[in-house]
Amino acid sequence: MRPVRWIYTSFVISMLGSLGLVVYYLVGESAQVEGILLGLALGGMGAGVIGWATRLMDVPTVVEEHESLESGDSAVAQTENMVGQDAVTRRTMLLRLATGASATLGAALAIPALSLGPRPGQSLEETKWTPGARIVDRFGNPQRPDDIPLDGIKTVFPSGFEGEADSQTVVIKIEPELLDLPEGREEWAPDGCVAFSKICTHAGCPVGLYRAEAKQLLCPCHQSTFDVTTGCTPVFGPAARPLPQLPMEVDEAGYLVALSDFQEPVGPSFWNMETE
Amino acid sequence: MGATALSTALFLSGESTARDGYSLEVAEIATMTQTESQTDDAAEGQELFEASCSTCHGVDGQGTDNGPSLEEVGEASADFQLRTGRMPLANSGQAVRKDPAFTDERIVALVEYVGSFGDGPGIPEVDLADASLVEGQALFIENCAACHGATGAGGAVGNEALAPSLWAASEVEIAEAMITGPGQMPPFDFTDAQVNDLVNFVVYLREEPRPGGADIGGIGPVPEGFVAWLVGLGSLLLISRLIGSKRQDEPEDAA
Repeated sequence: MRPVRWIYTSFVISMLGSLGLVVYYLVGESAQVEGILLGLALGGMGAGVIGWATRLMDVPTVVEEHESLESGDSAVAQTENMVGQDAVTRRTMLLRLATGASATLGAALAIPALSLGPRPGQSLEETKWTPGARIVDRFGNPQRPDDIPLDGIKTVFPSGFEGEADSQTVVIKIEPELLDLPEGREEWAPDGCVAFSKICTHAGCPVGLYRAEAKQLLCPCHQSTFDVTTGCTPVFGPAARPLPQLPMEVDEAGYLVALSDFQEPVGPSFWNMETE
Repeated sequence: MGATALSTALFLSGESTARDGYSLEVAEIATMTQTESQTDDAAEGQELFEASCSTCHGVDGQGTDNGPSLEEVGEASADFQLRTGRMPLANSGQAVRKDPAFTDERIVALVEYVGSFGDGPGIPEVDLADASLVEGQALFIENCAACHGATGAGGAVGNEALAPSLWAASEVEIAEAMITGPGQMPPFDFTDAQVNDLVNFVVYLREEPRPGGADIGGIGPVPEGFVAWLVGLGSLLLISRLIGSKRQDEPEDAA
């Protein structure tokens, strides 16, 4: 096809797209169709203009003649004479610039050191769980052991801190005889309910995927897998330490309450963390 | 009325043997007076169960080495497993949705028979008339999205297990799954209102309009980014090359 023919066609497509847009805007609903029609209107116009400019317009290459722009011999001599005494050698100039660049880079690297403080203090070791804190769901409802079905899982928080990121915990109910918790935690599982920090000890993702038949918690980020029956010990993936377990009992009113805070830091391990 | 009075009198008189005999009679009478269709259903359910289920689940649903006990699973679980074709299990490994193996009437009979084993949950009634989308979304994000994804498209849950897409499930099936926790899924203790809210939100996920156009499976930013980079940036590159190219068809005209 000769260029002029498809350029004509492009403008016609543009017109049809615009008219179609007007009509469809009044009768239709789909934003996608409107977008396609607008695309045809603008695209046809653009293709036409570009085709016109690059395929039809005759633009010859023109070279303008002019005198040489080089400095004359006398001008060069005069300048050399003027700056001669204080002339900075190329070597000196390079050394100065290199020194300046190094000093500036040093300053730029030092500034981020300001972001190192303040020290985290105890904030990595503590959550909002306190002795006697009621265990509530996201909506603040206190939980009885019976509120969690066997093999069920529920995300809970300390009462008054619903939605608190570092305190999020999962309660899972398991047949008590299947539990094989580490020594000293036998009392932390009233009616087979066990509570673990929901924050992965690898990179801090929420460990919310529970395979009820396998009794395993899975982290969706890197597939760290924790065996709930043995106290959420890692059995697969990059997590190196178990999910911290929340000591828990049933109070006189029959609700689940925390006995204390977690006894180790929740979330990813850090470089000066105390380990057993 | 008379039976109660008689029973009470017998009980008070302490003639336990006589009372047991009487109870048995009542049970027999009750069986005999059942409507014919119910009797047929129960018999058909038992027959089907023995033919298709008992190899793994035991003759009375007590379970074997090959399959779990069905004594407390209830009608909700049986209805879910049979209607979604997960049972009977064709191969080892995770049960997945396929065409149901039984006709509707046979499923009803089987479900009724399995329900008679114990006091498990019945088939839930779903009523979306007053269901809240907002509550449903909050519950979904907290309890379901971790495994089934924010769009309900499903996903891997590790160790060859799969959380299936929720888009193929009927309203009742969604409710049944929440209550019974089939396979690796944990069961949830939602109130009836919460079940309705959640089902409402899952239906919304399936039927909501897609204002952005094709959702490419609704499984997240990886395929979306792939399309954006390859198709979007690729076509921009081609177009800019087209715009910048000089005409070469009639070079002799340039002079």
